Amino acid sequence: MEYMGTQVNSAHFNRSALAVSGLSFSYPDKAGVLQNVNLDVSTGERVGLIGPNGAGKTTFFLLVCGVLKPGSGEIVLFGKPMTFGGFQSEVGMVFQDPDDQLFAPSVRDDIAFGPQNLKLSKEEVEARVEKALSTTGVSELSNRPPHHLSSGEKRMVSIAGVLAMHPQMVIYDEPSASLDIRSRRRLIRFLQESHKTTLIASHDLELILEVCSRVILMDEGGIVADGIPSEVMRDVALMESHGLERPHSLVPHAEPHH
Amino acid sequence: MNLGLDEHVNLDSLFHRWEPRCKLIGLIALIFAFSFVQDLRLLPAMLAITSILYALSQLPLSFLLTRLRYPGYFILILVILLPFLTGTNILVHIGPFALRQEGLLASLLIITKFVSILTIGLVLFSTAPFLTTIKAIRSLGLPSILSDMTFLSYRYLNQIGDDLATMETAMGLRGFRVRRLCVTVLTTLTSLAGTILVRSYERSERVYKAMVLRGYGGSMPLHDMFHTSPRDAMILGGIFLTAVGFVIVELIFRGLGG
Amino acid sequence: MHIPDGILPAAVSIAGYATTGVATYYSLRKINQKENPPEGIPKASLLTSAFFVASWIHIPIPPTSVHLVLNGLLGVVLGYYAFPSILIGLFFQAVLFQHGGLTTLGVNAIVMGMPALLASFIFRLRNFGGKESQLRTGIFGFLAGAFGLGIAALFALLLLIYTIPTYLDVEVERASIYALTLAHLPLMVLEGAFTAMVALFLQRVKPELLEG
Repeated sequence: MEYMGTQVNSAHFNRSALAVSGLSFSYPDKAGVLQNVNLDVSTGERVGLIGPNGAGKTTFFLLVCGVLKPGSGEIVLFGKPMTFGGFQSEVGMVFQDPDDQLFAPSVRDDIAFGPQNLKLSKEEVEARVEKALSTTGVSELSNRPPHHLSSGEKRMVSIAGVLAMHPQMVIYDEPSASLDIRSRRRLIRFLQESHKTTLIASHDLELILEVCSRVILMDEGGIVADGIPSEVMRDVALMESHGLERPHSLVPHAEPHH
Repeated sequence: MNLGLDEHVNLDSLFHRWEPRCKLIGLIALIFAFSFVQDLRLLPAMLAITSILYALSQLPLSFLLTRLRYPGYFILILVILLPFLTGTNILVHIGPFALRQEGLLASLLIITKFVSILTIGLVLFSTAPFLTTIKAIRSLGLPSILSDMTFLSYRYLNQIGDDLATMETAMGLRGFRVRRLCVTVLTTLTSLAGTILVRSYERSERVYKAMVLRGYGGSMPLHDMFHTSPRDAMILGGIFLTAVGFVIVELIFRGLGG
Repeated sequence: MHIPDGILPAAVSIAGYATTGVATYYSLRKINQKENPPEGIPKASLLTSAFFVASWIHIPIPPTSVHLVLNGLLGVVLGYYAFPSILIGLFFQAVLFQHGGLTTLGVNAIVMGMPALLASFIFRLRNFGGKESQLRTGIFGFLAGAFGLGIAALFALLLLIYTIPTYLDVEVERASIYALTLAHLPLMVLEGAFTAMVALFLQRVKPELLEG
């Protein structure tokens, strides 16, 4: 079912970042996790992915990164068809749990990991690490073990580790989970300032409203709606029939308090 | 992660219905009786009993074959070498190698015992949920520290295994490939192992606090009550007698000079 | 390192269980002497799983890859809990993966568990005669890992050679002992290096894990 809302006018973004057609995928013990998904994302777009748990969002991300092999369908990244199992440095993914990503004895070593795997020179690696540290604002943590950081700090360090690879598209899986208010605000500001093509899966609907210019609602393996965040999320019937709620800031109030 | 052991616990065979403690005592006695056998004349009987018991358990043959595959490789190596290395009676020359009678017979003995014991072991552990079997062992006298450790280790084994898989995926997405053994690769892998240990340790501290808050004082409560019916005892008697029979016949054969 | 079912005589298997029983009894006694035994149980349990999982990490040795045993490292981290931990780990391997054996569980626990306890003692030597340093942690970590594997391999080897049908003539016996010992030397170096590096990592990130 296509939502007949206003589609985002992507005319002013000129290249295709991600073109997915007819994508289907099943796990051995769960069939139809994704069914015939079609999606086009242009460079520079910030797209939010919302939907209930089990809708297939994380699976979709793993397919786009080449970690999982599609049952059928095609994925084209920045004009190049995706090959399963290879390493695509154009796309980077920030995992839901930073502990799944941070493993090195120091923050600096962890951020350097990606550039080192790209076989860059020592100077280039250093430069990238410094840039990533300053962009994410964690420079003073560079010599600490990641295991000793707070969840907000871990989140920014895991983002730094992905950014240091200079991906053209970054995928965030539930980036604001477990963050305190201040860290969350920092994350939102960071995402708003980014010019990279971005995909964000989140239950934090207010974050999507603040950061994304386009939102995709996924449920039961398919895309159910695709449009401007405030319009899609304002539709109460739509949201509730897919296990979501209208975000508070979109609820009309008799006494405006926003 | 699916350890796949409890796949066939919902069947309804003699063994599935047999009381777990009797099953433990009976089948372990049988396993040790088999391990006692050295006389080749008992091998056909061993195979016959094993086949009958496996058939009675209603476990699929494919299950047995899959489970035999991996350990079978190790045994196969030994079994192929023995006939050429041990013994003085040479049967036939194959090229520069001499096939010896004693070695061949020893191989036959080993492989038959191995397959029989493994099969009975599968019947023992796959016809009831793993945790039920642990409770039965506990109720037969295993110290509570050991049974508690077994419970907890099993409970978290899947999760920690998933953590490792996710971390390896995240590393792969940052370009890591394990190809040669060099200092960088070793550093990465040791950091990975170290991180798994640290995460598990910190998780265990949270687990302990949660347990204490629900009254844990050093030993988990045993609430599964096992009842032995006359029928259970009879089956135990039958299996036990079979085991004793094997031992007696073996002793007779040895006494007679084999 | 794991001796499968069907090879050892029943008498040896039973002796193995008896010895394991004694070793477990002593380990549990030592564990109960610590200040807060219940607290150690979740830790030792989850670390047992962690070691189990960690041994699944592939170490590349072209053209193939190996899995490490890590019983030395386990001794370093778990101390007296190492023996019950290895016993439980072996139980899981035998029942869940059909690796190792049911009749040989006792024997395998001694073969792998005693060297683990030895490794734990070796590692504790780093505290003697001098202040703690990275070099000491590295050296004693290496020794713990190397001996952990080496002695386990030696036990297993001797056990197999002396209990397998005795038609083996002396020449073949000697030759196979030498050959298999030689084959294990590079593995000992690898386990030693791995153990040392993990110990250094832990010293930096979570030193209390090295207190055993």
